[in-house]
Amino acid sequence: MDLSITSLAQIIIACLMVIGLMVANAVVMVYFERKTAGFIQRRPGPYEVGPRGTIQAICDSMKLLGKQLFIPGNVDWLLYFLAPVLAFFPVLLLFLPIPFGKFLTAMSVDEGILLILAFSGLGVISNILAGWSSNNKYGLLGAARAVSQSIAYEIPMIMSLLAVIFLSGSLNLSQIVEEQGSWPWQWNICVQPLAFFIYLVSLVGETNRAPFDLPEAESELTAGFHTEYSGMGFALFFLSEYANMLLVSFVCVTFFLGGWKGPFLDGFWWTFIKAYLIMMFIVWLRWTFPRVRFDQLLNINWKWLLPLSILNLWITAIVVKLL
Amino acid sequence: MFRAIVDNIKGLWSLIVGLSITGRFFFSPVKTVHYPRQVVDPESLASYRGPLELVPADDVGGSKCVSCQMCVRACPGNCLTVIKGKEGKAPETYLYDFTLCCLCAACVESCPTSAIRFSHNVYLTARTREELHMDLLADLKARAAKASQ
Repeated sequence: MDLSITSLAQIIIACLMVIGLMVANAVVMVYFERKTAGFIQRRPGPYEVGPRGTIQAICDSMKLLGKQLFIPGNVDWLLYFLAPVLAFFPVLLLFLPIPFGKFLTAMSVDEGILLILAFSGLGVISNILAGWSSNNKYGLLGAARAVSQSIAYEIPMIMSLLAVIFLSGSLNLSQIVEEQGSWPWQWNICVQPLAFFIYLVSLVGETNRAPFDLPEAESELTAGFHTEYSGMGFALFFLSEYANMLLVSFVCVTFFLGGWKGPFLDGFWWTFIKAYLIMMFIVWLRWTFPRVRFDQLLNINWKWLLPLSILNLWITAIVVKLL
Repeated sequence: MFRAIVDNIKGLWSLIVGLSITGRFFFSPVKTVHYPRQVVDPESLASYRGPLELVPADDVGGSKCVSCQMCVRACPGNCLTVIKGKEGKAPETYLYDFTLCCLCAACVESCPTSAIRFSHNVYLTARTREELHMDLLADLKARAAKASQ
């Protein structure tokens, strides 16, 4: 990787495009999520603002922009402001190694997945900082839960990705896509169905989405770690939550579902179609299942996902060695 | 261990059942209506307990009430005031304070002539407390006048 002016410009342009993608994604997903919630509960969802409520999400974000940034008493001032920024900016970096298309990669690094896994940990740090600095018991409890949940779910997630890495022999995401074919039976999901299942469960846990949304469980902790945030601070957390969802979907698509390869015509559209299908699935999960208890959440992870992922990794290693 | 595995597989199956139910609901038509433009079918409001109303005895706003005070005695919230008229048994005044009413139906059950019932008015709104102090005889007359038009 050269650090010339052109590659720097490429990265800056990519970052700007990623910011655009994040905002557009949040707007679309908020609308989609509320509509899905409505239809699943047999009601129309947002309907009044714009034709069929289409500009509801934009109006909500305008309202957030105009809101007062309220700072509660006794907060740790510096960390309180640092936390939302820290939640938002690492996500920009995480999108860089994702191969959206054959030539549509912002920064093709050989250790792409390592970069993603390393920097996604910063999101958890921002959760701790937010919960601790806001000097609120709900915030602190939410932060504590976020940490233990993230530590727990990152391990099977990495293990399941490692099984695919064993097969392709590379940490480069573009390389992993190249190893897969265009048709669904040539994708890694057919070789590694168990790893795909483990990844799917742990991506829900990793992004703090229902039924694993313990860090921000509304009925127990009001809003968890971002209880004390209003206005843009809250908006940044919100944005990064949806961006994280999109990111884990892209990683899932890259590793298991053939990336930008698809039937008939390869191209970046397949990446987006497949990623948004996974996003739809996550939303569907949220409006179907009730929230699990915290001990159940950790039991699922430590008693089932972790042994299963170790078993899967072990079998993969043996098969790769023998063949 | 074996039992735990079987339980987990059953649990996973129940997750798929749940997803199929919400998936089916997603594509089925909505049950709610867009209120200001559409209203609910009145028949489906038949079981709704709105504020009390008098049962009309004839077309000109007469009531079946015989001013026996049974409803006033039965009412746990003291929300009814019935004053007998000078001629006959018909009431002169029938006041009803909806702010005190708990919609328990003790008055409806105690009425010997079935002169009182719950209305099905789900659209009742009031901005002041006084609007909920209702004169049921006037309300009965207004309804009769509206029906005769």
